[in-house]
Amino acid sequence: MTNTLADEELMFHVRNGTGEMLGVLFSRYQSPLFNFYCKLTGNRALSEDLVQDVFFRILKYRQTYKPGTSFKTWMYQIARNARVDNMRKQRPQVEIEDSLLPVVMPADRAQQTQETALLHKALMMLPEEKREILVLSRFQELKYEEIAKMLGCQPNAVKVKVFRALKDLREAYQQLEASRPPRDNARGNDYDVQ
Amino acid sequence: MTCNEFEELLPDYLQDPTDPRFRATVEKHMADCAECRESYALWSKLVTLPDVEPSPSMRARFDAMLNAYEEGRWEHDKLKEQRRVAAPSGFFDWFRMPAMQFGLAAAMLFVGILVGRSMMAPKAEPNAEAEQIAAMRQELSTTKQLVVLSMLQQQSASSRLQGVSYSMDVKQADPEIVSALLHTLRYDTSVDVRLAALDSLRRYNDEPKVRKGIVDALQSKQSPMVQIALIDTLVDMHERDAVDQIKKFQETPDLNPTVKQRAEWGINKLTRG
Ligand SMILES: [Zn+2]
Repeated sequence: MTNTLADEELMFHVRNGTGEMLGVLFSRYQSPLFNFYCKLTGNRALSEDLVQDVFFRILKYRQTYKPGTSFKTWMYQIARNARVDNMRKQRPQVEIEDSLLPVVMPADRAQQTQETALLHKALMMLPEEKREILVLSRFQELKYEEIAKMLGCQPNAVKVKVFRALKDLREAYQQLEASRPPRDNARGNDYDVQ
Repeated sequence: MTCNEFEELLPDYLQDPTDPRFRATVEKHMADCAECRESYALWSKLVTLPDVEPSPSMRARFDAMLNAYEEGRWEHDKLKEQRRVAAPSGFFDWFRMPAMQFGLAAAMLFVGILVGRSMMAPKAEPNAEAEQIAAMRQELSTTKQLVVLSMLQQQSASSRLQGVSYSMDVKQADPEIVSALLHTLRYDTSVDVRLAALDSLRRYNDEPKVRKGIVDALQSKQSPMVQIALIDTLVDMHERDAVDQIKKFQETPDLNPTVKQRAEWGINKLTRG
């Protein structure tokens, strides 16, 4: 039963050449990774490319996975590198435009509140490293210790980063809230996908 | 207690609000401090940002990549089994190819591992070294193949175009790459990418699958530029079997007049020459 195996066991097999085990890991992580990138970049198409790149890199670098260490941490490390490489290749003005695009396409439009849209905008206003720390700690269910390993710092430093990112998010949110014209409340579709 | 002293405590509380070690302290501070209260409220609200569903094509792309990898690996094993020794000359030429920037780092890693392995292995047979080099080459060409296949799937046309140009480095008609290029030729949204794919495919004009694929690509939905390039290619390849298809194609209503003329020319060339 391959789908009951732990991530680390599966990756151990991939490392030793059983590539099809990667399919199970893909099933497990394609959605979390995709959402990680969507929240980070605000761009769906780019996020899909990045997810492919991550799994491509996992295969290529499979030998560098140390058996017994957390697969998830290793994978997010690769994911961060893939994003950094991608930013290096991209022209800056494209980047800014992309990051302004709202990413989320909720299944049920009626449920999306103006508040959520505002929060999303505020999140996209943060510099990417701040957004990243929030996405990693809030959405990817990573412990501070795990994030610390990925970032190469102490867990306490991660906590401080979270605190400060949250402070910036709050300021961005309050600023948006203050500048929002009251009539804008009626408009629901400025939260559309690109 | 000031907010700054709170920098480490609040995040602890965020991950586990029930932990008695800091619960009381944090909740007391939040009762007094509107800012930290608001930070906490936003943190809670973050989960209301909806998740996005990946498209099914993501799985398909992944499967294609994995297949390519498995196939390359299988060939690698077969090569080892046959103990076929390829000539080591020309191996380093590959590195000089300017197109292989993307993926080169990964390839270097492979080489690093392989070289490391070969250095540690005791020298037994005289042929061992040549064999290792052959294995190295195989591994590298597999990487190259993966690079091409993955790039052909990219969202941006410029990346796909780059993928097509990398495919030029793959000398032998690799079945996965041929299929991917044929698919690109027919369905890629960019005319430039389709034209480049055709250029790359022309090199394999001895392959029946390629010949057939090029004939099949000629249909009404193509852009006129690609249609003309296809006709020219078929003439270049002396593909006599294509005459009937071109004739049929020529009858398409509303066909671009230039294309129609070119088709006429192609039919004449193929039936006479
Ligand atoms: Zn406070």
